[in-house]
Amino acid sequence: METRRLVLVLTGIAVVLIVVIGGLSLALLAGGEDSGGSGGGNQQPDGSPLPERLEGELRLFGPDPITLDPACAADAGSAEYIVEIFSGLVSFDRDLKLVPDVASSWDVSDDGKTYTFHLRPNVLFHDRSRRVTAGDFKFSMERSLDPDTQSTVGDVYLDDIAGAREFADGKADEVSGIKVIDEDTLELDISQPSSVFVEKLSYPTAYVVDRNEVKGSTCFEGGNWTLKPNGTGPFRLKEWVLGQRLELEPNSQYYLDPKPALSRVTYVLSGGSPLVMYENDEIDITGVGINDIESVRDPNNPLNKEYSETPSLDVFYIGFNAQQAPFDDPKVRQALNMAVDRDFLANDLLAELVLPANGVLPPGMPGYNEGLDGLPFDPDRARQLLDEAGGPEILTDVKLLASGQGASPSQVLEAVVAMWQDNLGVTVTVEQEDFGLFLRDIDQGTFQIFSLGWVADYPDPQNFLDIKFHSQSGNNETKYASSRVDSLLDQARTEKDEQKRLDLYRQAEETIVQDSPWIPLYHGKASVLTKPYVKGYFIPPFVINNLRYVSITE
Amino acid sequence: MQGLASYITGRLLLAPVVLLVISFATFALGRYAPGDYVEIQAGTRARPETIERIRHERGLDDPVYEQYGRYAWRALHGDFGESKRYRGVAVEDVIFPRLWVTVQYNAIALILTFGIGIPIGTWAATKRGTWLDPLAIGTFLLFASVPVVVSVPALQWLFAVKLGWLPTSGWRVHEFFGVELGIFSRQIILPMLILTLPGVAGVARYMRGQVLEVLDQDYVRTARAKGLRGDVVVSRHVVRNALLPIATILGFELAGLLAGSIFVETLLGIPGIGLYAFESIGSRDYDSIMAIVLMGSAAFIAANLLVDIAYGFIDPRIRLPGAVRP
Repeated sequence: METRRLVLVLTGIAVVLIVVIGGLSLALLAGGEDSGGSGGGNQQPDGSPLPERLEGELRLFGPDPITLDPACAADAGSAEYIVEIFSGLVSFDRDLKLVPDVASSWDVSDDGKTYTFHLRPNVLFHDRSRRVTAGDFKFSMERSLDPDTQSTVGDVYLDDIAGAREFADGKADEVSGIKVIDEDTLELDISQPSSVFVEKLSYPTAYVVDRNEVKGSTCFEGGNWTLKPNGTGPFRLKEWVLGQRLELEPNSQYYLDPKPALSRVTYVLSGGSPLVMYENDEIDITGVGINDIESVRDPNNPLNKEYSETPSLDVFYIGFNAQQAPFDDPKVRQALNMAVDRDFLANDLLAELVLPANGVLPPGMPGYNEGLDGLPFDPDRARQLLDEAGGPEILTDVKLLASGQGASPSQVLEAVVAMWQDNLGVTVTVEQEDFGLFLRDIDQGTFQIFSLGWVADYPDPQNFLDIKFHSQSGNNETKYASSRVDSLLDQARTEKDEQKRLDLYRQAEETIVQDSPWIPLYHGKASVLTKPYVKGYFIPPFVINNLRYVSITE
Repeated sequence: MQGLASYITGRLLLAPVVLLVISFATFALGRYAPGDYVEIQAGTRARPETIERIRHERGLDDPVYEQYGRYAWRALHGDFGESKRYRGVAVEDVIFPRLWVTVQYNAIALILTFGIGIPIGTWAATKRGTWLDPLAIGTFLLFASVPVVVSVPALQWLFAVKLGWLPTSGWRVHEFFGVELGIFSRQIILPMLILTLPGVAGVARYMRGQVLEVLDQDYVRTARAKGLRGDVVVSRHVVRNALLPIATILGFELAGLLAGSIFVETLLGIPGIGLYAFESIGSRDYDSIMAIVLMGSAAFIAANLLVDIAYGFIDPRIRLPGAVRP
């Protein structure tokens, strides 16, 4: 009896083993055919989890979005998907010009406080159940601001609207400044004239959602509708298999030109190295990292012809706690600033993957000041400034706070710390913190020096200078306060003449750079490989819907 | 059989207590870790007041035992909360597809580990005293002593870059009768090597020890003396008896494999539960962490219980604790 049972078990194991090993070797044999062919054109790799490639399909690599709810998107990774699936009153086109979107046009009152948007009559939700009306926009914007929605960014982009603050604080039943005039007309009143109000409406929190589907969902609960959202954007979400793939298909009733030309967009959400997948024709576009950049730049490499770079609208910087000794003394900040060789960081250490930053604003941003000198790399002057401020002794036991995990901090920070050591004789230790703790320390001001980056939401200097350096801004982590800069920024907020406005920002930036609450380090670039059959693709310097400009040609 | 029944009942009654302790410990650890999901996902753009308000509304500033009480109450009602990595999506909708991935390749790894380890161990034992025994065991011990973070890049380099036989990473599924299986693909081979080779050493060494012990038993000597052929003695008398204790390490092997999944999935880009556990911890996705830990613990308890029960069936001496023990 016992023997028989044991024999049975062992036989069972043997059978399973044979099946498995057999299956594995079969798979290996079958897979062997395409393993050599990295130049196999559009050929389907064996055993791909992806459905057969359609003609005119674009394949991209991307991590899963954190959320597809426009009211909740606080990260660029989520926004990239949302801008393709949803849409709002206005958006930026591929020339980064602000254009009407669901709205066909808008008027501004003489006092600059009332905006009237005229909606297109032909914008339908993806399920074709009904058209988008002004009431849908009022619902969607109020949902973003509603404290019950628990969006961390709802009030960041919409707080110019009159009554938005009261509503977001739970003190009003509706936002008084959002008025539905009729089905086609939406009026937005703002509390004071603003040069960037309409630009801020291009952010997802102002996008329209289907009220029948979002119902009582918040940013943290009831989000199952985002697995099949009913949007209005150029593409509709066909399927999202969490962690594996996300498929978009063109919205055939899309209302702007150009209309989407791709037959399908598949985001591959898992699986190893994007560069290897690109070389195996599994994805059509990939970023290139520092480890591969040398070989891709080599003109003899066949990949070289598919390589391109575009500057991004961002800045990476080191910030000082400008309210705390010794960093409340501008000389200390300037000394540390002038001891850093940005050209070395950008061109040698990071192999020209980035551009050295002389100021705060990145190239490509309106108001970018090409002639801005910034604080030059000058170790002698730096030492002199530090001596005037009290000498290297005042900088003992200094910590630079960075977010990150792992044994050693980023190469860039290591290099900066080494430059301070060599040029000033100052020892600074890098302290790495998990992102959660890091953000808390930055918010509470419990730091001496920190490093961080900032990416544009819209191409306007206000998005960098006002938000980061106005003494009253919630995002001014350094707590830098300059009455001159504040007054320039205040004037720029309401200045209607574009040239004068940019000039005010230019003056503000010059003062900021001299006062040195930041050491701007570098501006990023998107370094990508694009298959030759992909036409019209471009990496926007900030998040805009760009897939409708893309097509596949043979 | 009564002894076994009460034994099983006792273990079953203990299981919820174990789960309770584990769940509270995990919960408290998670909450005391700095930062929370609202802060982390809000990033640098949100107003601090808004973050504070949402944390308060979501009860993240309540005492940990209160938060745990709320969690336990919801969990007992079958509501395991929402993922924060996939905002607002029910935890079970995120976890089960990923669990399926992990279970598939771990099941195969488990079968391979024992399927290779048992014959190797037996063979090594019969070669005791020759150079073959230490060679076989030593080879597998070598695999066991190399950390995954070293072996993964090394194997990737060898098989994918140098030889070009295998893809570097990823997960490919084929559909069989409507079921998506990922175990019949070239992508599965690297994780199999990485999970199986180190495990084989443990099983083989254990098996070798058992076989050596049994080889010294009187009945084996008797069987030999009666003129039975050596291979018959080993297969019929030795292996059968040596196999019994092997069942006990099954549970531990399983736990080891699941722990290894976190590394393997992270390094090889397999969309399984281990990778998700890693992401969840980074984003303070409390509900997901809890669900994964509870599920893992329950699986571990269940596996050990099953092993105990199976043991009772295989070895009659254990079935009746009151019966004669040699």
